[in-house]
Amino acid sequence: MAVDPKVDSLDQLIHERRRLGIVSALAANESLTFGELKAVLKTTDGNLSVHARKLEDAGYVKVSKGFEDRRPRTEYSLTDKGRRALEQYLAKMESIVNSTRDALER
Amino acid sequence: MPMSTHDHHSEASKNLAFIRETMESASSFTAVSGLGTVAVGCVGLLAAWIAWPYGTETPLGVWIPAAFLALASAGIGNWVKAKRLDVPMWTGSFRKMAWGIVPALLAGGALTLVLTREGASHLLPGTWLSLYGAGVAAAGTFSVRALRWMGLVFLGLGVLALFRPDWGLVLLAVGFGGVHIVSGIFIARSHGG
Repeated sequence: MAVDPKVDSLDQLIHERRRLGIVSALAANESLTFGELKAVLKTTDGNLSVHARKLEDAGYVKVSKGFEDRRPRTEYSLTDKGRRALEQYLAKMESIVNSTRDALER
Repeated sequence: MPMSTHDHHSEASKNLAFIRETMESASSFTAVSGLGTVAVGCVGLLAAWIAWPYGTETPLGVWIPAAFLALASAGIGNWVKAKRLDVPMWTGSFRKMAWGIVPALLAGGALTLVLTREGASHLLPGTWLSLYGAGVAAAGTFSVRALRWMGLVFLGLGVLALFRPDWGLVLLAVGFGGVHIVSGIFIARSHGG
């Protein structure tokens, strides 16, 4: 069976499970700290840093570093580009689900 | 082997479910510490055990220090959680939660004085449980669903205790002890500690 062209054109950057998690968690909040993201996604420091960096490089996620009570604090938020990418990804996932449903009903 | 349409469908459904679950757990993040709530429950059980010989008298000498100890445990728990997650404790939602619960606690304080003075201390368990429940349910509007339910359970126990003052001490133990411990474990597991 041929691979659905819709699947081929998926945004691989957020198709990856951990990055999809980061983008989804940020879509539900104005911003999240490194610690909050880590707790929501149940992942390690290293893992989160690597994937968050990829999203930052792609311009999907904005990182702001600052200090609070003299302790470093890293905060992540979704950029407009990141939000659009998630919306497009969601639309594609929905269209895959719907087209299969249509095929089953036919 | 290429994936079939059916495989794509189930993968797409799983991805959609994953996005939804992640968004839900991220937005239901609470500053309330589950472990702190468990500690409050332990204080509640201890107080009920010490107050046991007094029966329906409801000794303030036991319950008032217990209330302050519980408040301190909750405060420390929340502070440790905020520190661990690297978030400021005094956030907007925490402030709103405080506005939800504090008026009910103040009303509870006033009623405690009046009921004790009027010799109606057998009504204290019901008053405390129902007012605390009303406060927690109100505060829960700005937090996770578990807190709202916890508030309603307390409210139910309080109403029961008002109608059956002879069960007061048992209901205090069930509420301030048991309900806190169960909700605390749930919050710790599902909402980040």
